[in-house]
Amino acid sequence: MSRKATLGLLLAPGLALLAFGFAFPFAVTLFAPPAAEHPDVLGKLGDMLTDSYVLGVFARTVRVAVTVTLVCLVLGFPTAYLIARAPKNRQGLLLALAVFPLLLSTVVRTFAWLVILGRNGLISDAVLATGLTDRPPELLYTEFALVAGLTQLFMPLMILTSYSSLSQIDSGLEDAARGLGASPGRAFRRIVLPLALPGVLVGATLVFAGAVTAFTTPLLLGGSRNRTLATLLYDYANVKLDWGGASAVALIMTVLVLVVGWASGRISAKVATS
Amino acid sequence: MVFLLGPILLVVAIGFSSGDTVEFPPPGFSLRWFDQALSNASFQQGLLTSLLVAAAATLFALVLGIPVALAVQRRTFRGHKAVETLFLSPAIVPELVLGFALFQQLMVTMRITALGALLIGHTVLLLPYAVRVTGASLALSDPALEEAARGLGAGPLRAFFAITLPVMTPGIVSAAVLSFLTSFNNVPLSLLLKGPGISTLPVEMLNYVQFSYDPTVAAVSTLLLAATVGAALLTERLVGFNKVFSR
Repeated sequence: MSRKATLGLLLAPGLALLAFGFAFPFAVTLFAPPAAEHPDVLGKLGDMLTDSYVLGVFARTVRVAVTVTLVCLVLGFPTAYLIARAPKNRQGLLLALAVFPLLLSTVVRTFAWLVILGRNGLISDAVLATGLTDRPPELLYTEFALVAGLTQLFMPLMILTSYSSLSQIDSGLEDAARGLGASPGRAFRRIVLPLALPGVLVGATLVFAGAVTAFTTPLLLGGSRNRTLATLLYDYANVKLDWGGASAVALIMTVLVLVVGWASGRISAKVATS
Repeated sequence: MVFLLGPILLVVAIGFSSGDTVEFPPPGFSLRWFDQALSNASFQQGLLTSLLVAAAATLFALVLGIPVALAVQRRTFRGHKAVETLFLSPAIVPELVLGFALFQQLMVTMRITALGALLIGHTVLLLPYAVRVTGASLALSDPALEEAARGLGAGPLRAFFAITLPVMTPGIVSAAVLSFLTSFNNVPLSLLLKGPGISTLPVEMLNYVQFSYDPTVAAVSTLLLAATVGAALLTERLVGFNKVFSR
């Protein structure tokens, strides 16, 4: 068998699956959904982009995703730094603990927030116990609930990616900067931060994309009052049965994720060359 | 860390509650919700579907993905980069969008059953993991070993089974564990690709949580947690936990 033929043999089954189960359905759904009464997706898209409700959902999705990314950055990066500077034999365990939640279902992890934020939940009980008010605060089905739930969901990604670039930095570099008279803050800013930036950027992109596309958490914690693009898509597809609308939302979501991924790739390429 | 792990421990505590509703701290200790969870017919059915789909999709993804990893890591050809990107792309698009697309095309237009659509969808979902994680183990190994085997007279298949496959084993085990859990925990695809009698455990849990607020789901979660810890420890013993996450 020629080398070309073996190459074809190696790739063909996978390519066939991708064509049948990914590329073809994707293209059809985004641009020409079958069996829809209004197959005019671009027309739908046009309507949506002037509809204040859809624009509100879009703005909320981006706002929540940006907030979640920032909180993950502020909490996750220091955690990763501490893990990377911990004694070598403890690093594995610490990292495993931080990353372990990723292996659990999002339903399990979101359920916890129902308990914490719900009507008879931990926080509302605590507030009532102070005796300051007899009306528990509304925490569930708010943007705050969304941010809390999604942050807990995606923080491990930020810790993991930050750790993997932090752990490759020779701690001797930081010591050398200190030895040459830099303050701890300056050594961190001038040495650690620039070297860790690529990993942090990857983490931020993953968190942002995850927060934009997450479904379970907005469904359970945001409810119908605080829809995101994902729950809006589900609503169009499964409740309203408006498939043209669902395709239009799908298009918005896909473009948003791809644009942010592309932009982050460009930034890290720039950082790498500068 | 408290923020990450606290909520999970909370769920475990509630799983062992004796109260009628979800409350914390629990009024007492009991195993009644575990009993409730294990005897729930839709959870039993969901677990079965989930295990079947996760095992089959993991197998399919590895069978399709390992050859791709071999081609991408060991060959140079035109469009190399494009092929690699193509095989990783299902991980980039939103899962809910993929689920919706498959629902329309496979289930509505082609009339494939929910189980068939679930299998195809999950295999597509896992393919990037399979290609990437097994590819990583190949990238770390030395192609000279295979060339030496070929030079000593082994046929291409023999060289693959005697040299390449053993070298890839840690990567394959990691990919299998990661794929299985990814499929098992998936909600967006499974939610849209369900049919009569066919829906996965996380989807059943999601439906349950939306309509009733008792510790049953906490008990199921605790069982899943225990199983996941077990799987993670086993993987750690076999190939090292950090290898699973290093990619």
